[in-house]
Amino acid sequence: MSAATAPVDLRGERWRLRVRNARDFGRRYARRTDGVVGLAILLVFVVLAALPNVFVGALETATTASGTALEPPSLTHLLGTDGLGRDMLNQTVHGARISLTIGLLATLITILLGAVIGIVSGFRGGRIDNVLMRLTDFFLILPTFVLAVLLAPIILDIVGDDAEIAGIKAKLIVIVVVIGLTSWASTARIIRAQTLSVKERMFVDRARVIGSGPGHIMRRHILPNVTNLIVANTVLTFAAAIFTETTLAFIGLGDPFAPSWGQLLNAAQAIGAPSLGAWWYIVPPATCVVLVILAFTLVGNALDDIMNPKTAGRR
Amino acid sequence: MMRMPTGPGETGKVMEDAEQEAARRAAEAGQEAVVEAPVDSEAIEAAAAARALIRGRRQWPLPKQADPTAPLLTVENLRTHFKLESGWVKAVDGVSFRLDDGEALGLAGESGCGKTTTALSLVRLLPSNARIRKGSSIDLFGIDLVPKTEDQLRRYRWREISIVFQGAMNALNPVRRIGEQIAEPIEVRLGLTQDVARKRAAELLELVGIPRQRAAAYPHELSGGMRQRTMIAMALACDPAIVIGDEPTTALDVMVQAQILELLERLRRDLGLSLILITHDLSVIAETCDKTLIMYAGKVAEEGPVSRIFTAPRHPYTQKLLGAFPNIHADRRSLETIPGSPPDLRNPPAGCRFNPRCPAAMDICREVEPPEVVYPDGVRVACHLHVAGRDGAVGVTSADVVGWHRQLPVIEAPGVPAVASAGVAEPPGPGSQP
Amino acid sequence: MSPSYLGRKVLQAIATLVFVVILNFMLFRLMPGSPERILLRNPHLDAQSIAAARARFGLDKPLLPLEISVDPPSLKVNPDSQFLAYLQTTASGDLGLSFEFRGESVTEVIGVRFWPTIILIGLAELIAIVVGLTLGSAAGWKRGGTLDRVGNGISLILYSMPYFVIGMPLIIIFAAGLGWFPTSGMLSPGAQYQSPIDQLLDFARHLVLPLATVSLGLIGGYSILMRSSIIETRGEDYVTTARAKGLKDRSILRDHAFPNALLPTVTVIAINLGYVVAGAITAEIVFNWPGLGTLTVDALAARDYPVLQGIFLLISVAVILANLGADLIYGRLDPRVRA
Repeated sequence: MSAATAPVDLRGERWRLRVRNARDFGRRYARRTDGVVGLAILLVFVVLAALPNVFVGALETATTASGTALEPPSLTHLLGTDGLGRDMLNQTVHGARISLTIGLLATLITILLGAVIGIVSGFRGGRIDNVLMRLTDFFLILPTFVLAVLLAPIILDIVGDDAEIAGIKAKLIVIVVVIGLTSWASTARIIRAQTLSVKERMFVDRARVIGSGPGHIMRRHILPNVTNLIVANTVLTFAAAIFTETTLAFIGLGDPFAPSWGQLLNAAQAIGAPSLGAWWYIVPPATCVVLVILAFTLVGNALDDIMNPKTAGRR
Repeated sequence: MMRMPTGPGETGKVMEDAEQEAARRAAEAGQEAVVEAPVDSEAIEAAAAARALIRGRRQWPLPKQADPTAPLLTVENLRTHFKLESGWVKAVDGVSFRLDDGEALGLAGESGCGKTTTALSLVRLLPSNARIRKGSSIDLFGIDLVPKTEDQLRRYRWREISIVFQGAMNALNPVRRIGEQIAEPIEVRLGLTQDVARKRAAELLELVGIPRQRAAAYPHELSGGMRQRTMIAMALACDPAIVIGDEPTTALDVMVQAQILELLERLRRDLGLSLILITHDLSVIAETCDKTLIMYAGKVAEEGPVSRIFTAPRHPYTQKLLGAFPNIHADRRSLETIPGSPPDLRNPPAGCRFNPRCPAAMDICREVEPPEVVYPDGVRVACHLHVAGRDGAVGVTSADVVGWHRQLPVIEAPGVPAVASAGVAEPPGPGSQP
Repeated sequence: MSPSYLGRKVLQAIATLVFVVILNFMLFRLMPGSPERILLRNPHLDAQSIAAARARFGLDKPLLPLEISVDPPSLKVNPDSQFLAYLQTTASGDLGLSFEFRGESVTEVIGVRFWPTIILIGLAELIAIVVGLTLGSAAGWKRGGTLDRVGNGISLILYSMPYFVIGMPLIIIFAAGLGWFPTSGMLSPGAQYQSPIDQLLDFARHLVLPLATVSLGLIGGYSILMRSSIIETRGEDYVTTARAKGLKDRSILRDHAFPNALLPTVTVIAINLGYVVAGAITAEIVFNWPGLGTLTVDALAARDYPVLQGIFLLISVAVILANLGADLIYGRLDPRVRA
């Protein structure tokens, strides 16, 4: 039945149902203390990432540094300064924007790859499923982080270290792509399993009888039913993406001119901040990394418990 | 095999007070109930003898605090409630019954009526949100188990009350050999050496019809019937006083079901086991039990000798339940269904809990909870259609629980097959499964 | 274990290995320009060594052992190809020459760094497995209790911390601050040891902080995994049976819940053990531990592709073997698979 011919009250009913579902979901989520805490932490960081200039002014560079090197925290520099005299509060808040952006983009690629491969594999079955799942198995077994470390410089060598793609530093894009390419496999696995069970359900058969093409069925019938899972998985993937980004940046694959938290820690390590006891150079970005990953994990677990059909009933 | 009291009897000394009380009530009601009074001194004596015999054959002494003359198990006013976010679920709400040495009691009712919870409450194998409420008592050999701490209660688990669970595939540990699993309680609970325990486990396996070499098998290597036999062997490991069978045959196919029931019957006869059988399959009860207790929504609907309940059910729910049950003697077309569904036990209906589904519901049923009355033939029923003083029925309070059950089973000497007793009527056969 | 199960797993491992080898070959050939360009970029090689390397890698030969031509249509097998040469050298343990390390062979360069990593990560895994599984099962068994809340909270936080985020504060506190342990390295530079025991003690002092870092980093994950596995097991019927048997709570956990809950974690642990070789790259950097992790980063900075590829190959082989090991161990622990 198309929406145009549906009676108005039916649409209203559907809408009311959706509102009720949303409210029900909200209530269940609100009961999860850990999820709420995680969400609150994320909100703070999202606000910081959205408007860093409002809070701490423009990103300080080596030339616009406002202090001298490695000043401990003081009233002028609440979190001290880094090795080049840049204000650590300024750097950390701007780091939120860079870390979260890279994390978000990498997550999108991961989920897109994982969802498409998972849905296609689960829905088409047969040889396509076989080939895709062997590939998935391979990526699951492979030491993907090491592969990422190997891939990143190769790609950079191909495009050139200082190249820009659409105005964005190639280094950042490479990190995003490499994370995406190496971490989609588990998502594909989960989505495929859910697709298989959705496929078994009646309405797909009905849609097939009516004569819908496979693309239509996948988009209109399978996708809406795996969305819950995708959302929960996205949040958990986000945590992993930030973790990987921070690590890659720390081992020197980041862009020094776009200091993510991992990049800041890389710089701190490079000048030997830990041995110097310059804790203020390390604690702010490290705390942020842990808080954000923890928050994403908490939110993801809460969502997974509520929405994942496999775990939802378990208490 | 059931035993029925036959004819009138003299007032037994043991039950004197209760008897006089019942007689007095009956007399007050102007009935000649005294003649029908359910007293049978022979039966009582036989039961005492059976008790002595069975308890005398115990391989392990009674618990220290036990009273050797006390009945095996009396449960009074058992109330087990579950706490949910939305309130307390009154899963078992005031259940009383008694089990004697060598007796088999069948607990029946629709799923969710509280029969399993009742049985599992005995050894408190309940989920963490369950509470046994104050005022409940579970007396085993006269020892009240309710106030025991978890640690004290362990003494009674398996050594006195063991359980055969439904679906032995999941109830057996998949990564351990069945011999080990049977030997475990012997070793741990009875303190025997590993060798002795292993040997006894092998004997138990043979007792239930599994070659002793199979002790090295893992659960998944056995058939469903073999696994259930293993469960039974395991339940017998510590020579318990009571074995609870929680739907022990439900997951099995009909042929295997019959074999398992036969095995239980044989073991009961040979070992003098007392059995509590939980099932929704009334034919199983008809075949194996002396007594049956029909539960509805956490309460006792009707309880009494199997032969009476199955031939002359008094509670409308029992009547419906028997009607809904395919009977080999009955016309298939007459198969009844019970309309409606069991009530929400967070907020059970006022009055009789069955009233919304009861074809005979009266006004009083919606307001007053029906008291339990007991008939001279030993049937106890909670229904407003049955009032104390009519047809020899006497009112009971839970304090009378010891006095209700006059017809105790006669247990033959070990190894002697049971002789079918003169029941009032032939119980329904092992229903033909649709 | 049935031969078919074993055979399937071995076949799977071999297939993955072949895939890795091909991937490694392709990556090397994918690089900009030609491999020569990479070789030429290497300042430590003279023309002679380049020629030698070219000959060794057979860079003048065709890429694949197949020659396909459309006109006229033909398909011909050429035994003299780069791919076969690559397979040959790899199989003989020759991973090529390092760019950065004075042209040493990759096998040698990796060999020197192998043991420090194995010792560090191996010990850390041992500690983390014992602590993580104990903590996780205790927490899950008393779900919602104090230990669960505190333990699971700590586990989640540890799980959110990359190694360097754990290691850097440890240096600040215990090395730079309290001075209990050295900040970096595996042995004190230029130290003269009276006896091997002195040397061992010096090594141990250097080992403490990195070991603590990697252990802490691993504990979180193991604990979380074990906790959820125990929680799942706790609801199983055989645990109720064990309770009905009147066993003590501890025996139920130890003899019934734990062995079953361990099954899913064994796989993860075994796979993780494959990564022992990969080392905890960032932990090694923070403590300047002379293992494969620091080697990876140094090679990365120098774009020392032969070394990077060698490491990737080594790790892949280790991980594949670990996976195979995981399947075999699982087969031993779970009688249902063994049958």
